[in-house]
Amino acid sequence: MKQRLVALALATLLVSPVVASDPTPITPPPAPGPPTGLADLAALRATVFGTPPQDMAPLPDKVPLIEMDLALPWARPVPAVFWFDRRLRVWLSAQKTPAPLAIVISGTGGDGNTAKLSILRAVLYGAGYHVLTMPSPTFPGFIVSASSTGVAGDLLQDGHDLYAGLQVIISHLPRKVQITDIDILGYSLGGAHAAVVKSIDAAEHKLNIHRALMINPPVSLFASVGRLDKLYAITLGLGDAGIERFYQKLYAELANLYRASERVQLDEDFLLGAAASILRTDAEFSAAIALTFRIALVNMFFAGDLYSGSGVVVDPQHPPKVGDSLEETIRILRGKPFSEYFMRVLAPYYLRRRPQLTEDSLIAENRLDVIGDALRDDADYYAQTNRDDLILDEPELVWLQNTLGPRIAVYDHGGHLGNLGDRQQVSDMLAMLSGRWMESAK
Amino acid sequence: MRSWPPETPAADNAVNLEKALALAKAASAEKSVKQAPAEEAPVTPAEAPPLETYDPWARLNRFTYRFNARFDEAIFLPVANGYRRLPSPLRAGVHNFFANLAEADSVINYTLQGRLGRGVRSLGRFVINSTIGIGGLFDVAEKLRLPKAPTGFGTTLAKWGMHPGPYLVIPLYGPSTLREGIGLAGDYGASYGINLADLYRGDQSWGLGVLNAVDQRANIDFRYYASGSPFEYDTIRFLYVRKLLIQDSSLRPPKTRDSDVPAGK
Repeated sequence: MKQRLVALALATLLVSPVVASDPTPITPPPAPGPPTGLADLAALRATVFGTPPQDMAPLPDKVPLIEMDLALPWARPVPAVFWFDRRLRVWLSAQKTPAPLAIVISGTGGDGNTAKLSILRAVLYGAGYHVLTMPSPTFPGFIVSASSTGVAGDLLQDGHDLYAGLQVIISHLPRKVQITDIDILGYSLGGAHAAVVKSIDAAEHKLNIHRALMINPPVSLFASVGRLDKLYAITLGLGDAGIERFYQKLYAELANLYRASERVQLDEDFLLGAAASILRTDAEFSAAIALTFRIALVNMFFAGDLYSGSGVVVDPQHPPKVGDSLEETIRILRGKPFSEYFMRVLAPYYLRRRPQLTEDSLIAENRLDVIGDALRDDADYYAQTNRDDLILDEPELVWLQNTLGPRIAVYDHGGHLGNLGDRQQVSDMLAMLSGRWMESAK
Repeated sequence: MRSWPPETPAADNAVNLEKALALAKAASAEKSVKQAPAEEAPVTPAEAPPLETYDPWARLNRFTYRFNARFDEAIFLPVANGYRRLPSPLRAGVHNFFANLAEADSVINYTLQGRLGRGVRSLGRFVINSTIGIGGLFDVAEKLRLPKAPTGFGTTLAKWGMHPGPYLVIPLYGPSTLREGIGLAGDYGASYGINLADLYRGDQSWGLGVLNAVDQRANIDFRYYASGSPFEYDTIRFLYVRKLLIQDSSLRPPKTRDSDVPAGK
């Protein structure tokens, strides 16, 4: 009964150092494996391993870093199990002279200091920006300290929460930080958030955000998430058997590699090499990607269930206390796809708050179409994506291209964020944020 | 608001290239696994330990974990971060000094494990670094192709066939198991018994102990609850024990298939 999520954790162990910060130039030959039909092998591999070091844009030698932990005035009472998430934690890299501020928003489940944010922070700081990196509204630390609902996943509501949080943060920045202009960007789901925050600001004028850039954004949130659910179902199955098999296989391969390496310590460097030789097939990459997303979902599901009182895994009358075992909870949540979060937590919560809403209209609201006019008419919205990004389908990519026109750059390869930080992506990103993009397009 | 030592992305990026090389080696290592002789039967998926972790003291452990997280956030981590701002040659010297002291323990334990070659290597490292390396401040032996390979009493107990035992979160220290906890006590006992240069019993022993702890903390890239997740205890427990079991599995003589003990025993 206990500890079934542990399989996910092993995947984290394997995947996170790689996904996180240590891309590799080694490209093992494609191994045979059942194709998932959702993306090609190159796209999956890029998604897992990221930009190889030799393709990375030059980064500054040193980037200063300040951590800010803020208690927001509207924060709700903190449930006992979330005692450590009382304050919103964001990270600032400040220039010594007046400079524009770049606000960067993390992807699904990410905190304000992910490896991908580190790349963006370094590049932007090197280009002369103050950089403020923000957690995703789907990160548990944000849900507890900054969400007005506790139920994450609704694009507009999360955008409003981000916007409110940003106002407090910016008013609390160290006084010596002089801001000349504000731009906002984000990767993956954070890209959609960045655009929504700019559109809110266009009506409220509290921050006067200048440009917004979406990097590999979804178009329909729930369709993108559905693709990741499907990836999980295909590669790991619906029950516990699939995940147990995946865990056993990973464990055995790791143990054998370790034995052969004659190392004394099983350390991060070892894992890095191991991950590259263990994850090789289409199905293995897909499983790793699907698991990474599912881990984020487990946290979001738990928080949403607890705050909304839906009672899926948390008894609303007897919420867990510090010291209580959460093993059974993890075991149940691990098997639950996003669609179940939508049907049992997110939709009921929002339908209760806004009776005119239906499930279909909620799904429709969670498309970039809700800010479609702004994206089309306001020349300060930009996007970058890849033709082989697995969270988009063809019509969605076409919609982005039609809506943004010349203000989108579409690269042939890179999968989902697999080219973040490469020279082309970085130089285009800086051109877009500085307004030079359209001039060079002319 | 807390100011951190600056990130060094350019340097990290260079390190990536080195890691890529290590990775290529690992890939070739895997090939040698496949060509390994038949008596070194590889671990099969069926031999993977169950997903459950033996944790009969879970309630106490969870409270200790929380205590450690709070202590780390309030005291340990800020001190370690202050320490990280010191010039890196100074920190390297401190790190090497403590690593050299630990060689004595490695010599004893490699001997107890019956791995005499490694024991001699640790002894060689100790002699070289204590003399040419000026009391252990410089790791000269590393440059002479005698890389550090520390071991301890916990590993000795594993080599003797002792299982990790129940999961145990040790106050101020962190994740462990009963066996590893006994190992730590044994290692400290040995150091105290040998009392090299009176470092473990003299008046300075407390100060040195604290410096050793700060040096260790400064070299661990971990932040309690950076995950933001209420499931962090479970995740860490899983990862820690799996890592220990994989390390253990390389210590015991390889089993042959037919003498396999039924799973779970």
